[in-house]
Amino acid sequence: MSWISLDKAKGLESKFDYVKLEQSKTGIPYIEVPKEKLIEFLKFLKEDPNYSFKMFIDWTVIDHGQKENPRFQGVLILFSPDHQERVIIKSWATEEKLPSLIELWPGAKWAEREAWDMFGVRYEGHENLVRMFMWEGYPYHPLRKDFPIKGYEEVELPSLNEVERNDQLEGMFNYSRMHTALPTLEDLERTEKIRMPRKKAQVVLNWGPLHPGTHGTIWFLLDLDGEYVQQCDIIIGQLHRGVEKIAENIGYQQFIPYTDRMDYIASINENHAYVVAAEKMLGIHEKIPEKAKWIRTMMAELSRINSHLLWLGTYALDLGALTMFLYTFREREKIMDIFEGITGARFTINYFRIGGVYADLPYGALEAIEHFIEDFPQRLSDYETLLTRNRIWLKRNKDVCVLTQQDVYDYGLTGAVARASGVPYDLRKIDKYDAYGEVDFDIPIGEVGDSYDRYLVRIEEMRQSAKIVKQCINRLREFSEDDPYFFEPEDPKKLKISIDGRGLKLPEGEMYAGTDNPRGELGFYIYNKKAAIKPYRVRIRSGAFYNLQVFTKAIIGRPIADAITLLSTIDPVVGETDR
Amino acid sequence: MGIKKVGLNRNVKPQTLTEKLFFLDFMKGLKTTIKHLFRRVVTVDFPYEVTIPAIRFRGVHGLRNVDGTEPPDFDSWIKKLKIKPPEKGETRCIACKFCQAACPVPELFTIKAEKLKVPEDHPHHGLKVLAVFDMDLSKCMFCGLCTQACPTDCIIHTDVYDLSSYTRRSWVLHKEDLSRIADDFIARRGKEKFDDHSKWRKDQKIWPEYDYPRTKIWEGWMPSFLPNYKKSQSNGEAEN
Ligand code: SF4
Ligand code: SF4
Repeated sequence: MSWISLDKAKGLESKFDYVKLEQSKTGIPYIEVPKEKLIEFLKFLKEDPNYSFKMFIDWTVIDHGQKENPRFQGVLILFSPDHQERVIIKSWATEEKLPSLIELWPGAKWAEREAWDMFGVRYEGHENLVRMFMWEGYPYHPLRKDFPIKGYEEVELPSLNEVERNDQLEGMFNYSRMHTALPTLEDLERTEKIRMPRKKAQVVLNWGPLHPGTHGTIWFLLDLDGEYVQQCDIIIGQLHRGVEKIAENIGYQQFIPYTDRMDYIASINENHAYVVAAEKMLGIHEKIPEKAKWIRTMMAELSRINSHLLWLGTYALDLGALTMFLYTFREREKIMDIFEGITGARFTINYFRIGGVYADLPYGALEAIEHFIEDFPQRLSDYETLLTRNRIWLKRNKDVCVLTQQDVYDYGLTGAVARASGVPYDLRKIDKYDAYGEVDFDIPIGEVGDSYDRYLVRIEEMRQSAKIVKQCINRLREFSEDDPYFFEPEDPKKLKISIDGRGLKLPEGEMYAGTDNPRGELGFYIYNKKAAIKPYRVRIRSGAFYNLQVFTKAIIGRPIADAITLLSTIDPVVGETDR
Repeated sequence: MGIKKVGLNRNVKPQTLTEKLFFLDFMKGLKTTIKHLFRRVVTVDFPYEVTIPAIRFRGVHGLRNVDGTEPPDFDSWIKKLKIKPPEKGETRCIACKFCQAACPVPELFTIKAEKLKVPEDHPHHGLKVLAVFDMDLSKCMFCGLCTQACPTDCIIHTDVYDLSSYTRRSWVLHKEDLSRIADDFIARRGKEKFDDHSKWRKDQKIWPEYDYPRTKIWEGWMPSFLPNYKKSQSNGEAEN
């Protein structure tokens, strides 16, 4: 992981007398700035050519507990595309307030709304600080440390079986008449109104929350002038399950199955990001057995193909090309078969572990993958014959909803969306986690940043993935059956690590690491006050979340039909945006 | 850094006038669809035809009984936890609750052991047996961590996936149900999955070789289930 070099960070310290440079126990430097000076300092970081940290990655909050004063601390992660470095900046939220960064990075808008929603930290200067996931009128801030993981059960909502049929259910299984708070219809109306305080045009069209075109439960508000969108906001949170809260209350390996359920279309990649972050925090990522590294790389790329196939199928389906859906699902089915045989599950896979993978490949696995990958490029060309140069396809995609390089940096766009706009941002090349440093592949880069480029970039990504998988197969064949697939510590007394994860402790300190997922950079920021079997704070930096945010900007001035194209080419998944 | 530029005019040629005039783009598309029209059917005609889950499939749990294939340290575990040595056909579970400790949703387990009520001079005096083992599968994620934690390889995943029912009650499986499910699975496919000491076989196959419906999607192809790695076990040296 490329963090800001110590010299440069020291330079900051001598330039600004209020800047404090610290080193966390896990070896990452971070910079502490008082909140009054934050904006001034960040402006310098962003604009000075020696630093130029112009890409927004994440902006979140840590709750240090009720007894601390100040209690909350803002954590900002930035990336410098010119120098390929990251930096962490922290700032204490005295009086539970922080300055808003939307002037510098508009992408901070949703991040700040989320932090307000989850922690109750106010951002001074934010244009419309409303809740992100919960509804207006929800009384709590659930990620605060004093909020119980079960929530407050205060609404009586008996089962209809009990009310109508007089069934005796109390005391059975997990049945309870009491539930945690639920939104009423009035609450939802209030939520909707407050999201768009000033109407700009005549009609506000509600699209979703349950609409086949939204690919999940997303609720769009489109302020329409005739067919053209003047203003847009998105209400998400219908699938919010508090994954970050769960992570704080559960062991490290035990959390992996929950990551499956975030981006359920590419669950392997979700596992991957978490596992890499935890391994880096333990300092064992370099020492993971080679075989495990190659298996993981291969599986992650297969999963990328799988996810892109689903994207291609549903995208074409939304734009009216039904056949594509049937074709891509056939290829997808083969990948699912391979996953089922290797990992034991088709969808929520839970195959990776902190320290490797949980089992070696079964007989015939490499053969099957090879068979699939030999055939796949041919299929991909078939898809391209149907779509790429088709005049309807061109009309619906070319020059639709252009995202510029500036948007990429301002909104923290990652993945294929960033690459289509001409930014070669790819963690596989920057961080070289697992075996990505040793495989040969190209990053596809778009030209204009329109929907058509996003389409071409993803298609090319599938080709490149196939290329990576081929290299992995060849390399894996050279291993022997006895090579380990799980990390063994030199001193088992110091580090207890096992496949089932009982007793695994992560050290004191912090770590931010991520992987390049089909939907952008998924990063995990893990923060531990002391070595413990449960993390103190886990922040999930979701690529889909930040990518979805730019929808509200890119759709302005476009006709309503482009909303479908734009949403499909951004390709968010609700499990990950909502977490 | 390898970068490949994509875009119209970059790797995609724009439509030419002839293509536009004669609708050649549509023709080409139609050619592809017609080609696919003559391919074999790939869908499985469920429920008249079913695929058989892969041997590693994580389906409904089972609790294995003692059958002579226990892991070598089985006896020492029994001694350590003061469990009555089980006869053949009795459960292997030693109520150690490791499965519960490894489970992300620990409250789905109810595991209790109780002391045997035997007179003081009986050899089993002071020893325990498993009394309750309930699993509420409506809360289970089928993640497999419990099976990996079990020291006696008692709790396993079977290939049963059909859990639908009309009541929540039937998702709670008791130890008798779990034993029955495991027995049935072991009788059918135990040899495919486990070796003589209940560990996973090294030569597990990716899919059952007798699973014909699955070959439909692969258009008749079936792997030959060769070992994945070239080097044989004898000369295999650990890499790095
Ligand atoms: S499969 Fe996972 S969730 Fe289910 S009982 Fe086992 S450990 Fe718990
Ligand atoms: S881990 Fe195995 S032996 Fe221990 S309680 Fe669970 S099923 Fe029984």
